[in-house]
Amino acid sequence: MFFYLIKRIGLSVAVIGLVVLMSFALLHLIPGDPATIALGPRASAETIDRFTEKMHLDEPVWRQFLIFAGNVVTGDLGEDVFSNRPVTQIIGENIGFTLALGAAGLGWAILVGIPLGCLAALRPNSALDRATGILSVGTIAVPSFVIAIWSLLLFAVTLRWLPAIGAGEPGNLPDQLAHLILPAFALGLGWVGYLSRMVRASLLEVMNEDYIRAANAFGLRPGRVIFGYALRVAILPTITLIGLGFGGLISSTVFAEVIFARPGLGKLLYDMVSARNFPVVQGAVLVTTGLYITFVLLSDLIIAWLDPRVRDAL
Amino acid sequence: MALRNTSRRTFLAGTTAAGALILVPDLIGQARAQTAGLRLRMERDNEILDPGYMVGGSEVSAQKQCLPFLAEYDMKDGEVSWRPTYYVTRLEHTDPTHIAFELAEGLVWSKGYGPVTAADVKFSYERMKGTDWSGYFDALDHVEVTGDRTGTIVLNTPFAPFILVTLCHGTGAVLCEKAVTEAGGKFTTDFPATCGPYLYEAVPGQRANFVPNPDWAGPKPAAESVVVQIVGEEKAANLAFEAGELDCTDIGADTLARYRTSPPEGSEITIAGELRYMWMGMNTEHPKLQDLKVRQAIQHAVDVDSIIAGAYSNTTSKSFGIICPGLLGKRDATKSYSYDPEKARALLAEAGVSGLELTLKTLNAQDRLLTAQIIQANLAAVGITVTVLPVDDGTFWEMGMEESGDGWKDLEMWIMQFYTTPDPYEATQWFVSDQVGVWNWERWKNEEFDKLYADGIAEQDLAKREAIYLRMQDIMEETGAYVWINHEPTAYVHRKGVTISTAPSGELDYRRFEIA
Repeated sequence: MFFYLIKRIGLSVAVIGLVVLMSFALLHLIPGDPATIALGPRASAETIDRFTEKMHLDEPVWRQFLIFAGNVVTGDLGEDVFSNRPVTQIIGENIGFTLALGAAGLGWAILVGIPLGCLAALRPNSALDRATGILSVGTIAVPSFVIAIWSLLLFAVTLRWLPAIGAGEPGNLPDQLAHLILPAFALGLGWVGYLSRMVRASLLEVMNEDYIRAANAFGLRPGRVIFGYALRVAILPTITLIGLGFGGLISSTVFAEVIFARPGLGKLLYDMVSARNFPVVQGAVLVTTGLYITFVLLSDLIIAWLDPRVRDAL
Repeated sequence: MALRNTSRRTFLAGTTAAGALILVPDLIGQARAQTAGLRLRMERDNEILDPGYMVGGSEVSAQKQCLPFLAEYDMKDGEVSWRPTYYVTRLEHTDPTHIAFELAEGLVWSKGYGPVTAADVKFSYERMKGTDWSGYFDALDHVEVTGDRTGTIVLNTPFAPFILVTLCHGTGAVLCEKAVTEAGGKFTTDFPATCGPYLYEAVPGQRANFVPNPDWAGPKPAAESVVVQIVGEEKAANLAFEAGELDCTDIGADTLARYRTSPPEGSEITIAGELRYMWMGMNTEHPKLQDLKVRQAIQHAVDVDSIIAGAYSNTTSKSFGIICPGLLGKRDATKSYSYDPEKARALLAEAGVSGLELTLKTLNAQDRLLTAQIIQANLAAVGITVTVLPVDDGTFWEMGMEESGDGWKDLEMWIMQFYTTPDPYEATQWFVSDQVGVWNWERWKNEEFDKLYADGIAEQDLAKREAIYLRMQDIMEETGAYVWINHEPTAYVHRKGVTISTAPSGELDYRRFEIA
């Protein structure tokens, strides 16, 4: 397990190194002068000069990369081009909202999707299974932003049951929870379908294994066979999916954050790309990637802990 | 008894469900509880409140609530002029280069920085000459302080629009010298000291709150407090307005068209101003467009009415020049061309041109692409094949700039839109000879135009100024390098009973809102 851990962490560090390189290349791959692009067409020559000096754009590219990579290693992601605030502080103000949204979105999807998948697997080809199948494929097929807009139109604009925009009053938990419902619903709905289909398929496969037949033959209660033996094995691919899913949700929260005007890493990235505020873009991309890699790593470690065959595979 | 059949599990499930039912209305109630006060929208965080280094937009709105200004916009019947603010008892031109002012009594800076003085005015305006917005203060020589509250703004040359353009905009904000100096000479996300009806608090990424200033002795604004939510997407803001979570928000051309036919219940629309001018430009030095007759043929071939209907749902004013509606020098018609495909074909034949192929570049935005496609169809009808090339911001804004390389040599036609200030001089400055290869991408020079530009700035007589700017637009049109398209409005939808106050360029001034 120790060597597995070292290998996986090593791989993750290599991926992050690549992302650092790509984040740096971002600024230089866009046609035109980076300072003019960042500051807009009517920025004065003095402002452009100040920006060039501050961003070390007058240095050779290799040296700029070394400065950037060195700063990243020390946790210095630079400063916002306009407000001069540290990028780490700006990301710190937003990351909590994204994590909360991701957790709420995937959380309710897990709570609904896994039991749905179990129910469908227990009565294959029944009316319930068919209904779950149609529902699952339906929620997977409809893009999340469409669900977001429709839910906003229905629950916020027409019925006025739930708030349409914002993250709620700071320090007011019920208000913040109320503001979380619609974006989490839109974000998680597709995952209900994914999870229920995955659990159903895995569970059906496991239910045909000899040891499950043996358990049934011993006369164990169906609940004990499913939750005590079958689901423990069938859940493994679902854990991988959840790990990948949470990492993916972090980077795909952008649509929910933009449509519901919530703060968060996705919206920050979207705004900063529009404003060509590259230090913040680079920092947000790095942190988002780091989060994704961390969640995938965590899910891999959990799988390896549960299943020794996986440890030996790497 | 039913209770006897209830298991522990069903009891727990039942009470949880009941609890949730009780909580849901509470959650919604809590969500609605924050709706007290005026609720508005801005697109992004205010990152630089310092007038010398601001980006503009909502930062100007914040300055207007928290800082003193000597003058403010006065808009009546679509005409833009200025008037002194509450902060002054006197503001007037004593001669073309001198503006005398007297600050009102009792103006006090927050955080214990004492009274607002004429020295603060001197500090604020003279420091602007060394900032990113120095262009607004080119005409300023210095400010003479003649007393604690009195002084004279001295210009180095007669500059008729100084009060309207420079002092009414965010650039005209007065800062507390002591507080700004202590803050290191400039500031970003917070005001070092304020003097206005509201205090400013920002929650980054979420909102800006304007709360009552306890030290303010001036006229109380209609709204006790203002919450300005950050809603990046205009369409999301429109939905938030329809959901009753905003009292006012800006709307684009397509939403304006939709709301005009079916407005949200209890809402009204206000057009703030039309200080944007859009045209199709042609590079007069490009070999394919060097012949004036070819350019004139293109002018005659474009059906601007179709563009306004097709790309802008008839929500924008047709343009006849660079001077926008409500400003001195606005033209009512073109002089040398109108939509006439027959004439266009004749001009092309006269020029001996056939099978002409041109490239039309535009920003990659929906309305611009629609505009380009209509132009493409119009020109195809007279035998000109146009390739539409959408480009992104970074590339677009460098296309005609000589300092960005030789790309300008290949530039043929493009769709351009500029914003301007409420005085005609600003729009004309980009087309003088010095601007060739900078912002005059059409690349023509005209000595008369250059002279008229200088005359227009210095001229105090309104009738004479108007004649100057009308003539300047005639000259531009005669180059054949322009097809005037439209003036896009800055429009707001707001609750009935809320009368909004905006600058001609669209910035809201919350303190001047009226609430019935």
